[in-house]
Amino acid sequence: MRSNTYVLLFTALVTVILGFLLSVTYSQLKELQEENVAVDMRKNILRSLDIREEEGEIWTNETVQYLYETFIRTTILDSDGRDVSDVTIEMVDAEVDTTYFPLFTKVVNGDIEGYAIPVIGRGLWSTLYGYLALEPDGITVKGIQFYKHKETPGLGGEVEKDWFTGNFIGKRVTDEEGQLVSIQVLRGKVDPGSSEAYHQVDGISGATVTSKGVTNFLMDDLKKYEPFFQKIRKDTAEEIVWRY
Amino acid sequence: MALLSKASRSAVADPLLKNNPIGVQVLGICSALAVTIRVDQAVIMTAAVVFVLSMSNSIISLIRSFIPNRTRIIIQLSIIAGLVTFIDEILQAYMYDMSKQLTVFVGLIITNCIVMGRADAFAMQNSLGKSFLDGMGNGLGYGGILIVVSFFRELLGSGTLYGYQVVPQWAYENGYENLGLMVLSPGAFIVLGLIVWLQLQVAKPEDH
Repeated sequence: MRSNTYVLLFTALVTVILGFLLSVTYSQLKELQEENVAVDMRKNILRSLDIREEEGEIWTNETVQYLYETFIRTTILDSDGRDVSDVTIEMVDAEVDTTYFPLFTKVVNGDIEGYAIPVIGRGLWSTLYGYLALEPDGITVKGIQFYKHKETPGLGGEVEKDWFTGNFIGKRVTDEEGQLVSIQVLRGKVDPGSSEAYHQVDGISGATVTSKGVTNFLMDDLKKYEPFFQKIRKDTAEEIVWRY
Repeated sequence: MALLSKASRSAVADPLLKNNPIGVQVLGICSALAVTIRVDQAVIMTAAVVFVLSMSNSIISLIRSFIPNRTRIIIQLSIIAGLVTFIDEILQAYMYDMSKQLTVFVGLIITNCIVMGRADAFAMQNSLGKSFLDGMGNGLGYGGILIVVSFFRELLGSGTLYGYQVVPQWAYENGYENLGLMVLSPGAFIVLGLIVWLQLQVAKPEDH
């Protein structure tokens, strides 16, 4: 039997050595990991705006960087939807900021092809991070992507899958009067005959809380950008055709 | 050479078939169900587990005479947790997409009964070389099953192997459909159950 002092000292020593080695590893890899996260964010902004890999194609970090710089313009909006040019994207944390909001605009050959906004909020276990993109009309959903979450794989984790995100495309975030209604993730399937179907998508079975969370924070985040999108809609109003 | 003696060979070979941690001892099932949707995931997971198991076994065997009996589980667990965190960091830095797909299951290697089990039952009593081989053998035994399960799940569930399309387009055009069940956890249960059965038929461990 060893003395208590030995047991304590030995256990402490093992812990300290392991802690030291891990912190060395972490500090060595930190830069690479952060770059990966940044690239992944950009990749998801691109995907939400319908710039995506072909089947079987894999983008390198450089490709993502090139596409992002070529097609995406970043602007920062204030709470009235005005462009504030003296604030840069690095100064804004979309998760907590309530005064400045980043906006990612897809510009191809000088034409605006869509707007992406960060959407962030609680699911069941974790905060979900993603991008929601609207068409240049400011009404129709162009795409949605989630890039970070810790929901249950196979249940809430399905938010990142194409079958789920694909259902958002073509849905509308305002009603006929132009009121913001956001997108509603249902419990179960959308009834195509319903008069509400234009802003509803199929839910994820077994993930009611995640689905509800998505519905809630999409509304909250769209509200922040409402002053900006209202202006956009006014400018493009005559082009919109309402179909049922 | 001592490493190639009969005892050493059986340290690696036994867990592969006769005493396979999944097939015979039915350990580590949780992650075996989760990361076997695609072969590439299973391969990376195997590599991670082989690394963690052989390293944790080696380190623990190396310091086994210094480890106080009363806190041995804590010490084993911190070494295992340290190695797993190390692997997780490496994946996040060099294989970001893979690390995103494997999500929590890399971290959960810590709680994989095989790792703890081999550390306490084998590495605490055996020499460095043997413990290393035992760790590697068990890691490969676990991984082998993972890869076999993922082979069937990816082939039948998605029609691909290692991400490449193998079921030809004309098959789909003639009414072939992917078996969606295989992508879900019950699919893994069924494949795993069949493998356990097959393994018991082939390996015939004495106490079964």
